[in-house]
Amino acid sequence: MVSEMIYRKGLLTILLVLAALPVQARLTVFTCEPEWAALVRELVPDAKVTTATSYLQDPHYIEARPSLIAAARRADLAVCTGASLEAGWLPMLLERAANPAIQRGRPGLFFAADHARLHAPHEHVDRSMGDVHPEGNPHVHLSPDELPEIAGALAERLGELAPESSADILGRYIRWRGHWNQLRAGWRDRAQDFQGQTVVVQHASFNYLLRWLGLGIAADLEPKPGLPPSARHLSQLLEKPELAGARAILIASHQDPQPAEWLAEHTGLPVLVVPGTVTGTAPTETLGGLITGILRQIELGESGATP
Amino acid sequence: MQTRSLRFWLPSVLAAVAVNASASELNPDVSVTLDGYYKQNETALSHRDQGFGLGHTELSLSSPIDDLFSGRLTAVFEEHHGETEVLVEEAYLQTNGLPLALSVRAGRFLSQVGYLNGRHLHEDDFVERPAAYRALLGSHYYDTGARVNMLLPAPFFWQLGAEAFSGDQMTEGDEDIGVYTVNTRFGGDISLSQSWQLGLSWLRNRHAKDADTGDGSHDHGHDHGDGHDHSHGAGYTGENLYIADLVWKWAPDGNTRQQQLTLSGEYLYADELNSFADSDDTHKGWYISGVYQFAPQWSAGLRYGEADLLEAHGDHFHGQTLEETDVMLSWSRSHFSTVRLQYTHQDATGFSNADNTVMVQYVMSLGAHGAHGF
Repeated sequence: MVSEMIYRKGLLTILLVLAALPVQARLTVFTCEPEWAALVRELVPDAKVTTATSYLQDPHYIEARPSLIAAARRADLAVCTGASLEAGWLPMLLERAANPAIQRGRPGLFFAADHARLHAPHEHVDRSMGDVHPEGNPHVHLSPDELPEIAGALAERLGELAPESSADILGRYIRWRGHWNQLRAGWRDRAQDFQGQTVVVQHASFNYLLRWLGLGIAADLEPKPGLPPSARHLSQLLEKPELAGARAILIASHQDPQPAEWLAEHTGLPVLVVPGTVTGTAPTETLGGLITGILRQIELGESGATP
Repeated sequence: MQTRSLRFWLPSVLAAVAVNASASELNPDVSVTLDGYYKQNETALSHRDQGFGLGHTELSLSSPIDDLFSGRLTAVFEEHHGETEVLVEEAYLQTNGLPLALSVRAGRFLSQVGYLNGRHLHEDDFVERPAAYRALLGSHYYDTGARVNMLLPAPFFWQLGAEAFSGDQMTEGDEDIGVYTVNTRFGGDISLSQSWQLGLSWLRNRHAKDADTGDGSHDHGHDHGDGHDHSHGAGYTGENLYIADLVWKWAPDGNTRQQQLTLSGEYLYADELNSFADSDDTHKGWYISGVYQFAPQWSAGLRYGEADLLEAHGDHFHGQTLEETDVMLSWSRSHFSTVRLQYTHQDATGFSNADNTVMVQYVMSLGAHGAHGF
């Protein structure tokens, strides 16, 4: 009798635990780039987040490798940039992962670029122009004005997927937004010094931020978007009169520093190597911290700056 | 009068343009692969003739069909001895919303056995597939049938898959289901810089026992190697084909844009060759390949492979071996264009047309950006 009671109680406990599991289950999120992982953590701190790329990797050139397929299979939500940034690998990843929750057209697939106004959209593109995205420049995560729009849409989507915590998510979004507005006011003040100045870039990685700061682009080390800098293009750049007035050469951590260093030797401009996205260690682990960090680097204008 | 008609005419044209722009969104993705080459000498078991030639020219259309299905059609234009053929290499539907991480593909498609077979030829790092693939799978085995795959809920990548095919693209025969395959794949990351994948496959060919065994007459010479039906099937078959494959990739910090080293190898083994074969009669082949992308636009590669084959002559077999070494250098202006220089060295017994050759090849992609796997 007693043993049967214990057995029944035990069974009941197991059943209760099993029944409670889906409610207790933490939201599992797959992100294509680390900036979206950082944003998800701000909104749902206890979410299990996997990110497909790091700040040391070029997000255009990732392979749909086995570990990413396994991670995408487990996800309740996938957050990616969109605007064809991941065109070379995300479709394969989604097909191989066969996860119905995150297929195209389902609420579990969130594209940041769908919720932002992109710069430089093209009516007509062909490949002779380089790797130009018809939707516009996809590197939108460093845009001080567009990021809050994306974060708002993401908070809404997270709330739909986890209705029981939607109020908490909204609360965290409002706090994040207030903090962002404060940071943005600070950046706006510091940007006063940059008006009318220019930098040399490699690819359109920082263009949203530079434009917002009022910094012009003197030259691009890439001969065409997506093509690596060539010796001929670099020597042509040397003849550009705009180069003399530039403040610095700004490149991302995942890019080969050699072309920028070569140009620096011939022009005397400082090379600034900054992370193209959040790094996972303070102070550049959040997008706000990253933008503040990039601003400081540009202000200091020191060469050989560490990411 | 004229201005009025223009005023009526202009908005309607603009409206038509606007309709066109939105309609093109619904058009399938179109991609074309141009593959051309120059080959100095004829080689054994090759699908590419000597001289200037067109290789695997593809026209591919793909698109989501609705929220559950997507589809793809790939037509291949090939030229052999001056004759052009149009082959349907892919015409399939693929599900993308089944529960339990199940996915179904039906129609005509590339079998997923081995590492290379499921990949499109234009993704390859060398001009031709390894000798073992050319002999036992006709370079790439595709057929009409159905596939079910399941991704298991493991903390690492673990996929199980089964396929059933008509089998006629491998060996002509009477069975409704001539070929079926079972396949499993494991994989993961060792560190930020390294990742791997292991695959095990079994292909059962129920038509193999009906394969043409030749007439037994010894008119050697003209037919060996090249006479095997190119790309429609495998020249050498067995009732069972087992394949083990292993791939390891390394890129500093996982940034494949700058540098990447890919080591891959496969072992293929076929037995129960036909009704005259005893248990010692088998086909065996393997290769190991290393490709180093040392700069964003440059790759160099080395591959060595062997194939130990038995050619059926009526009630008996003649042994054939082919050892092949390939060295290649390739340059890609962009993600969509590749020019490749390759030297192939062949050592053979039982093949009259084995030779060394230099090849220059281009592979160009037009149109939609195809997504590539591991």
